[in-house]
Amino acid sequence: MKKRIVLILKYAALVLIVLMFLLPIVYMLANSVMPTKEITDAYTTSPDHYASFHLIPDRFSLEQYYQAFLRRPQFLNLFWNSVLITVPIVIIQTVVSIFAAFAFTKLKFPFRDALFFIFIILLIMPSWVTMVPNYMMIQRLGLLDTIWSLILPSAFTAFGVCLLRQYMRYVPDETIEAARIDGASTLKILFRIVLPQVKGGVAALMILTFIDNWNMVEQVIVFITDEEKYPLSVALSSFSSSDPGVIFACGVIFMIPPLLLYLYHSKEFKNSKV
Amino acid sequence: MKLKTKTAWTGAAFALPALIGIFLFYLIPYCISLYYGFTLQNEYVGFTNFAALFHSNTFWLGMKNTAIFSLIAIPLAVVIPLLISLFLSTFDKHTSFFSSLFLSPLIVPIASVIYVWQIFFADYGVINSLLQKLGLDPVAFFKGPWAMALVIIIFVWKNCAYNIILFSAGLRKIPKEVKEPARLDGANSFQVLTKIVLPLLRPTTFFIFLLTVISSFKIFREVYLLYGKYPDEHVYMIQHFMNNNFYNLNYPRLSAASIVLSVAVIAVMLVFFMAERRSSV
Repeated sequence: MKKRIVLILKYAALVLIVLMFLLPIVYMLANSVMPTKEITDAYTTSPDHYASFHLIPDRFSLEQYYQAFLRRPQFLNLFWNSVLITVPIVIIQTVVSIFAAFAFTKLKFPFRDALFFIFIILLIMPSWVTMVPNYMMIQRLGLLDTIWSLILPSAFTAFGVCLLRQYMRYVPDETIEAARIDGASTLKILFRIVLPQVKGGVAALMILTFIDNWNMVEQVIVFITDEEKYPLSVALSSFSSSDPGVIFACGVIFMIPPLLLYLYHSKEFKNSKV
Repeated sequence: MKLKTKTAWTGAAFALPALIGIFLFYLIPYCISLYYGFTLQNEYVGFTNFAALFHSNTFWLGMKNTAIFSLIAIPLAVVIPLLISLFLSTFDKHTSFFSSLFLSPLIVPIASVIYVWQIFFADYGVINSLLQKLGLDPVAFFKGPWAMALVIIIFVWKNCAYNIILFSAGLRKIPKEVKEPARLDGANSFQVLTKIVLPLLRPTTFFIFLLTVISSFKIFREVYLLYGKYPDEHVYMIQHFMNNNFYNLNYPRLSAASIVLSVAVIAVMLVFFMAERRSSV
């Protein structure tokens, strides 16, 4: 009997912990299916009208989604900006990192370890250090205020190379040597032997790179002056003050691409252990 | 010999795109910023720009707040997930479903969820309405020291998720055979934890700590979306200082700051790596 009570208490604690992590997200989802009037009524606050905890909709409605998709062309424009910035970064970062990580782990070339040391130093450098060199080069290339100023520096970070190298280290050298003796080219070895063994790493890299750049803020507000080129990660907050009635649906729509990418790769991602 | 030079060329060729990107956007312009750091209007001025930087009040304000944030938020974001994953490890089953739920704060974009935080913590928001009903004084979360507390809460909430997953994976790797003999020798659960489990978890902990440090560098995103370009002085971070100098196009100061900060980051990291190496020997 006593064991049973302990078990019930433990499960109660577990549910409470999970709720704490999920509440803001569930709250956003629930509020996104309320009519805009219900939102503006609930959250227009003043000293004698506090916002209340409003989780269950009085009336279910897809009005916010309708408004966001069909009545707010600027929302879709900003969403598209986010896609235009993030997708090229993920593609470049992944392809470039696969080749470089393979070279740094399994091939030999002059100054290899010294060069890799640069990557490790760069890995720990915060944006408040790297944005200065980024800016100087972008300005010299005449790319300021274009989306390339956001894409190029973020596509070539040390993160991908360092992450994939962690996975490739565990690929046994014997399999590579055996393939080489059979006459396979280096390119073939990479794609036929190594890549299938580090799928989890590639999935993790794509998901983490996508999420990181889908949330890009600091580069945007310095490198871009034309607010029409802003991605949603910055522009959504200005949306919330001008148009609070639809903000929850906009937030949910903005969440869909990273969620889909995660669900698509979730099995490999969860099995991937660094 | 011939084969060797050929593989050397392939290796270099494979690494080349990444190297070009890193040199072009990071290494070469960093050297250019070294030049700017020591000159004013193309004239060598020694450490003048650095002296000016160290006399700037906003630089120290940004440094101070970034340090306060890091010293509180990073340990919390490591210890709380450790406790939660120790708790999760006491369950026999079902936890993999829960641990996939823990990933959601990582996947949901900051901009999406920020409005919920605003509604919860606003002056007349959900939390304050709750406090009022309980007969307590409302709290101004967006002003004064509470502003920093709010940023720390959001950081811990967001980063606990992934760290729980990593800790759980680390705990699962510790075989039962290691713990059982100690238990048979009469060690209690607390002793097993501190003498066996935690030492074995060291590498995982260090890795998670490093990841958390790197993500703490990105806290500016939350601060900016909550407080805008000109925040309360309690949450004025080092990134705000840099951005303000970008807006003034103050290259000498930006370069000096970038150099000083890069050296500081490397120094702090060296200390951590040395501490880790010394204590694991």
